[in-house]
Amino acid sequence: MPIDPIYLDHAATTPVREEVFEAMKPFFGPRFGNPSSTHRWGREARAALDEARERVGRCLGARADEICFTSGGTEADNLAILGAWRALKAKGRTAVVTTPIEHKAILGAVHQAAHEGAEERFLGMTPDGVIDPASFDELVDEKVAVCSMMWVNNEIGSIQAVPELSAKAKGRGAMVHTDAVQAFGKVTIDAQTQQFDFLTISGHKFGAPKGIGALFIRRGTHIEPLMHGGTQDRGRRPGTENVAAAVGLARAAELTLAEGEAHCARIRKLRDKLEAGILAKIPDAVIHGRGAARAPHIVNISVPGTDSESLLMALDLRGIAASGGSACQSGSIDPSHVLTALGVRPDLASAAIRMSLGVLTTDQSIDRVIEIFPALVAKARQLAVAE
Amino acid sequence: MSRERVLVAMSGGVDSSVAAALLVEQGYDVVGATMKLFCHGEDVPDRPCCSLDSVNDARRVCEQLGIPHYVLNLESRFGHDVVDNFVEEYARGRTPIPCVRCNTFTKFRDFLKKANAIDAQWIATGHYARVVDGELRRGLDENKDQTYFLWGIDCEVLSRMMLPVGGLDKAQTRARAHAMGLEVIAEKPESQEICFVPDGDYTRILEQRLPADAPALSRGPIINSSGAIVGEHNGFARYTIGQRRGVPGGFAHPMYVIAIRPEQRAVVIGTRDELLGSGIIAREVNWLTDAPSIGDQVSVRIRHRAPLARAEIVRLNGQEIELALDEPVSAITPGQSAVFYDGERVLGGGFIEASRSLRSALPVLAA
Repeated sequence: MPIDPIYLDHAATTPVREEVFEAMKPFFGPRFGNPSSTHRWGREARAALDEARERVGRCLGARADEICFTSGGTEADNLAILGAWRALKAKGRTAVVTTPIEHKAILGAVHQAAHEGAEERFLGMTPDGVIDPASFDELVDEKVAVCSMMWVNNEIGSIQAVPELSAKAKGRGAMVHTDAVQAFGKVTIDAQTQQFDFLTISGHKFGAPKGIGALFIRRGTHIEPLMHGGTQDRGRRPGTENVAAAVGLARAAELTLAEGEAHCARIRKLRDKLEAGILAKIPDAVIHGRGAARAPHIVNISVPGTDSESLLMALDLRGIAASGGSACQSGSIDPSHVLTALGVRPDLASAAIRMSLGVLTTDQSIDRVIEIFPALVAKARQLAVAE
Repeated sequence: MSRERVLVAMSGGVDSSVAAALLVEQGYDVVGATMKLFCHGEDVPDRPCCSLDSVNDARRVCEQLGIPHYVLNLESRFGHDVVDNFVEEYARGRTPIPCVRCNTFTKFRDFLKKANAIDAQWIATGHYARVVDGELRRGLDENKDQTYFLWGIDCEVLSRMMLPVGGLDKAQTRARAHAMGLEVIAEKPESQEICFVPDGDYTRILEQRLPADAPALSRGPIINSSGAIVGEHNGFARYTIGQRRGVPGGFAHPMYVIAIRPEQRAVVIGTRDELLGSGIIAREVNWLTDAPSIGDQVSVRIRHRAPLARAEIVRLNGQEIELALDEPVSAITPGQSAVFYDGERVLGGGFIEASRSLRSALPVLAA
């Protein structure tokens, strides 16, 4: 194994922060109570949970009762889309609008809504991965129950104008959801001034453990729960709450916001260096979404004449962790639906490599990638010519 | 000095798992990879190569061996090179052998490319066959020998191929799996069927992929060798040469399918004697050694596990070959492979195009 492995897959997941781990520990130990219990153990757990809810709320400009803890981004996305659609379909709002570059959690939930009778509408995109305003104006009308758009795209990092588009959609009576899983800590999120009705975050993308996320649900918004059972979280999400993880999520969210600007500035600089370094050695490399406003932590690059499957193996064997399109359950890589939807040529789509920067990224690691990646690319291209 | 790297094709079965484990034991830098060749709509348990369970088994074995594991997506190539061809062959009244095409086009060629991409000098599989001095030889376990499926690979592959279980028999392989603690896969059942035909019913694949009115799946006559109609069938693609099932009874002798004539949609039946052939014409011939000459004697196998038959090469032009068999052989089936051996050495092979009922003589050579 290489001496010093380089993790460039922070958009997939991040390590749990030490402070977060410490904050969670008591809830695996003496403070193990069930928040629904009325005795002192229960009260202790309830207090921690309430506090976590409040703190996560503050991080989003929301009130505590607007935060619903979930098992992660996928559940929160499903709860928003299906919960809103099922609550609204009886009122004659029969369409669900989204973009073709959403995470599979949204696409899957929208597809399920369509299965239940919704009309699916997909917004037109610019080649750089931004919603085409004309298409938005056309598709978001008074038939729309819910409109969902990903604030920061997880594959190419493009940013949508969520505050402006939310206001527009609200003006037409549609509910608005945004998947902010990659956006949290990278863009300004404020539920007080911005008009989205639902917003998804996922803890493990910013230093909390896997298995915890949250859905912001604006006060007064009715949704159908996905699961049925107890009255936890006002019945929106029955099941004994994951107290430790909720506390971890709150801590991680606070730390992330506290460091937000400095962290973003740091990784933006490294990202720019990485892109410039690669382009200097591979002038025909294509960086997807480069013309759009982009979050600072994601670089998605295709080198003509290579394929991501081979390149990712070669990178991994040299100790560099990156990712390709959507990994399926078996672990095989299919061409990215995001790049395909943006009209990227199939050969380029199947060559895409996503590198995502974060806490583990250092200046030296970027220097090494600028050395190794072009060398592997050169070799792959030589082989392609020979074959 | 860094260790030599080997990319091992791992299906999640016992043979390829032991192959990887042996290479680790021998000190190679081993990288495991599972080729995903197709996707069943629903998960079918214990399928070789491709189901999620197989991928997971391969991954667990690699984890246990402390080696990296990757999944290679070859679905579109496999679909094109193997599954499409499989359907076309049946539609032409032949009985295809998809494993040969998979090895020839999909597996080894693509696998070698992946090996190049990661600087692996070697590739390895769990086939029961051996490479000795750059030549392919039959596996030591005659029962398990898989050279019948390997004749089509590119010659250059041989010099970079390792077949670690080719010197073992199946019982030894299982014993090694136990000895090395690979309990996950040590007693996995054998896979005998075609991997993308999960329940063994290939006609379902044909029905899915051919138009409903395809001649191969439509009714037609069953005739005898003199052309008299003796019955009716519901699609010649449901028949293969040598088959008895679905053949009408009431004859003095047991009757077999002896030919399929797609142009008449006819299935021809005949007696055991009529099933015999004395000559073989094969095409798309590939040589793994220097090509032999007209007049050379070879051993030939005309289907998996069939006994070897002695034959003489009577015609050889480009990629087509004709052999005259010393003794007649039963059920020579177009679409299957004819694989040529000299002792244990695999000389090469081809796809059977036709059989001849009479033994051809050697052509008279011009002086």
